[in-house]
Amino acid sequence: MNRNTFSYKLKQVLMFAGPGTILFFCVVVVPFVYGLYLTFTSWDGVSPNKPFVGFENYVAAFQDSAYWIALGRTAIYSIFAVVFINVLAFALAYLVTSGVKGQNFFRAGFFVPNLIGGIVLGYIWKFVFNRAYVALASAIAGGQVASPLSTTGGAMFCLIFVSVWQYAGYMMLIYVAGFMSVSDSLKEAAMIDGCTPSQAMRNVTIPLMRSSFVQCIFLSITRCFVVYDVNLSLTKGEPFGTSVMAAMHVYNTAFTYKKYGLGQAEALILFLVCAIVGVTQVVIGKKGEVEA
Amino acid sequence: MKKSTVKKLLVVMLTFAMVFAMAACGGGGGGDEGSTDAAGGFTIFNSKSEIQGAFEELAKQYTEETGVPVEVYMSQDTVAAHLATKYASKDPYTLNMVDPKDIYSLGVQYGLDMSGMDWISDTTRAIEVDGKVLGYPTCVEGRGIIYNGTAIKNITGKDFDPASIKTLDDFTAICEELKKGGMEAPVGILKDDWSLAAHYLAQAIEEREDVDGYVASLKAGEAKIIDDPKFNSLMDTFDVLMKYNAFAANASSVEREQVEQMLSEGQIAFMFGGNWDFALMKDFDYTGGAGMMAVPQKEEDAYTGKLLGGGSKYFYIDASEGTTPEEQQMAKDFLEWLRTSEAGQTFISDTCGMVSPFASNTIPVNDDLGAAIKTYADADMLIPNYLYFPDDHISVMGAKMQEYLGGKCTREDLAAAYDAYWQANK
Repeated sequence: MNRNTFSYKLKQVLMFAGPGTILFFCVVVVPFVYGLYLTFTSWDGVSPNKPFVGFENYVAAFQDSAYWIALGRTAIYSIFAVVFINVLAFALAYLVTSGVKGQNFFRAGFFVPNLIGGIVLGYIWKFVFNRAYVALASAIAGGQVASPLSTTGGAMFCLIFVSVWQYAGYMMLIYVAGFMSVSDSLKEAAMIDGCTPSQAMRNVTIPLMRSSFVQCIFLSITRCFVVYDVNLSLTKGEPFGTSVMAAMHVYNTAFTYKKYGLGQAEALILFLVCAIVGVTQVVIGKKGEVEA
Repeated sequence: MKKSTVKKLLVVMLTFAMVFAMAACGGGGGGDEGSTDAAGGFTIFNSKSEIQGAFEELAKQYTEETGVPVEVYMSQDTVAAHLATKYASKDPYTLNMVDPKDIYSLGVQYGLDMSGMDWISDTTRAIEVDGKVLGYPTCVEGRGIIYNGTAIKNITGKDFDPASIKTLDDFTAICEELKKGGMEAPVGILKDDWSLAAHYLAQAIEEREDVDGYVASLKAGEAKIIDDPKFNSLMDTFDVLMKYNAFAANASSVEREQVEQMLSEGQIAFMFGGNWDFALMKDFDYTGGAGMMAVPQKEEDAYTGKLLGGGSKYFYIDASEGTTPEEQQMAKDFLEWLRTSEAGQTFISDTCGMVSPFASNTIPVNDDLGAAIKTYADADMLIPNYLYFPDDHISVMGAKMQEYLGGKCTREDLAAAYDAYWQANK
């Protein structure tokens, strides 16, 4: 059989890439394009009519101050969460690859929070902050102590704390893979050349793990920017609507306020912001990547 | 057959098999409700999750009695959002249970005109839009102050008579008495936005003769709510509720269950709420003796002693092309059966403990707060709900009320925010 003919190649492509492509097209491309179309309508999410309104929704999205406040809040939340997630994940990865006793048990243990869904996790921590913490702190301090979820700063702290707790274990695994990919011989060579362990870490291990950093930071940025589940179950946007993140605002606009077109336009802006931040970070990160 | 032909055929078949398998996976992920075609029967969408089990049982009983297959579905999603997906996929339910305000959107677009049906003369709570009867009421619900009579009696030593609390002074006096008797803070306040905005703040709009006119003047910026005696009267009461709030330190983070547990177990005596709260209260060590009374206010007026409430959860029959006339007729028959049959009446009043909106249903309500609502409804002591609040009323004004509850803003700030809210919603 001639393997260089067009029909042979087409068949091969269809057989292996066809199902995936069709599926990708159906569940990603079509909804995306349809969603884009809906941003030009004033559809309420229910009506059979979808009146075309041009760029009105985009104008409204830019004028929706609550949306931009929520987006700004999401950016602040993301900055703190991404930094803490990665610092903690790196530290944990270092600990569980340094040869401590039972390190496999610890790896599994730190990863477990990631297996619990965001909704369940939010409810668990809500109980901890609202009931356990309040009961314990009130008993110690004497008198009623306020829950951290009842203040604006406290609610943000709780959101960041829970996200770090959720994702640090997952990112730890990627850092563990990074640590294991750095050959011991390189570290040993550095030590023989007179490096202290911290110098070897800074000048040999970390530069060689750059791809792990790029991946982890990308994953944590994109996940933090579109956070919804923990936001819903832990704070529900409260107190006084001061912990409403961008995704929650988009959901409320589209489904609760029945402004589907506007919600969709705001979702698109969120997507673009998220994509620009994520891709920029990957491009910058990849530039300086080194190989052993 | 040549070997290469067999191979080719195999490749093609394999490709198709994979594509179809995947397409099937993709198509099957439509939700938790599965297909909505009852063969030869009709479908019902239930939006009261707490009665789903009982509703399914009722459907079985209906099928046994009449031979008509019925399937009851439920979704945890927002009602309008869920039904929108069903309409988008051209697979609507025949009979849809929705909130009253949805009748004015979904019902108007898709609902069947039920004019001429027998049930209409049996209730005062049907929803009629432009001469068409579109909404069939399922139950009556009301809101006011829930009290725990047992807890009060334990301290005061005498039976509690809700009629004795007419004014805010009466209420303050009983709170003081309870406080002296050892109940440190006799009141609980739910911080949920729907309770604060849609139930409490809404009273300031609802307790007046010309509700539409007042809303119109707020929208036009002609009226300022801070000058309104009703708003101030209700906020004075709210201040007293806040003063005796058992969860003052955690006013804006306390969970509904915590407040209802204390009320149910008699650690607090009062909470602003509605008959739906009983479903939660009875899950704890309920002391018994709960009931409902009007929100006490400074001055007595035409609304003193009355609760707010009305029809809640309405059925509309789908009239879109996704439903056949036969299915519509089956749904009509079911609605009549639900109202007139003993099984239907028992389901509403006894099994689900709901207050029937139909005069012909005389089965006692199996729910302490529901029974209280029925007394008010029978005595015509329910102030009608205002059904035209904009969709963002709960979240926007709920957040502002939470600020007020948490001591983060003044009454003037709250009033100014409310004025601004209405003016933005012209």
